[in-house]
Amino acid sequence: MEDLPLSEPVLLILMSLAGQPRHGYSILKDVERMSDGRVVLSTGTLYGALRRLLDDDWIERFEERESSRGRQAYRLTSQGRRSLQLEVDRMKHLTRLAALRVATKES
Amino acid sequence: MLTFYRRLLWLYPTSHRELFSEEMLAVFSELEMNHRTESISRRAIFYIRELLGVLRSALFEHISQTFDTEIDFTFASRRVFMKDGFRFPKTTAILMALILGGVLLAIKRGEDISASLPHVNPSVGPIQPAHSTLLPPIALFFAFFYAAGLIGWAILFALRRSGVHRLADTASSGK
Repeated sequence: MEDLPLSEPVLLILMSLAGQPRHGYSILKDVERMSDGRVVLSTGTLYGALRRLLDDDWIERFEERESSRGRQAYRLTSQGRRSLQLEVDRMKHLTRLAALRVATKES
Repeated sequence: MLTFYRRLLWLYPTSHRELFSEEMLAVFSELEMNHRTESISRRAIFYIRELLGVLRSALFEHISQTFDTEIDFTFASRRVFMKDGFRFPKTTAILMALILGGVLLAIKRGEDISASLPHVNPSVGPIQPAHSTLLPPIALFFAFFYAAGLIGWAILFALRRSGVHRLADTASSGK
């Protein structure tokens, strides 16, 4: 099971799949776009992370029907979505706390 | 390059290869097509990233399978490519030096004890510590790589402090 907090690449992969199911290339490009080019995953890194997420049942694999090549695509499971939500909540709490502390210091 | 990449995938454990190799090959092929029109330096960075990505992830897949443990290696990508988050804590270097010193001392101490003990069977003759001839080369080997690592780190650190990496941003924003 993935522990919280998630590493940035794993978080970005989950965020990418939260919007819609995607195949490998689409995930890579979306991660790059979301991070403004700061996180560029190699295929090795991507499929290592996907393998672990599959093992943990956070994502599932299926064959894309629209694709003529029958490509494999990935989508979040309900467990994966729950874990992503937990991570988002954790981050929200942290940023709220940080904003409070910074504001207190400034005043 | 695709053939080379296909061969690289053999480094993965069989289960991983059976599940992902075709997909990885297809994604790599698509990425390679995209990079075809880019400059040589960008293409070189792409190939290095892919090569290191496969080597690292294949290694960790083997470790995960052998020891039945999960290691999150995704954090390392930024450090290898020295983007904004590049860090090499000084404490790590000190700790590495201490561990190396400790290991060498322990070997030396073991040799001294072994040499000082009376030998029970004198007809066999004094037993020479088997690694006494190995110690200097091992120490030299570690010292060489340690020094190489330190020099490399010092160069990168100096470059980072000098702000050379920002020149590319300046050049691109000036266009």
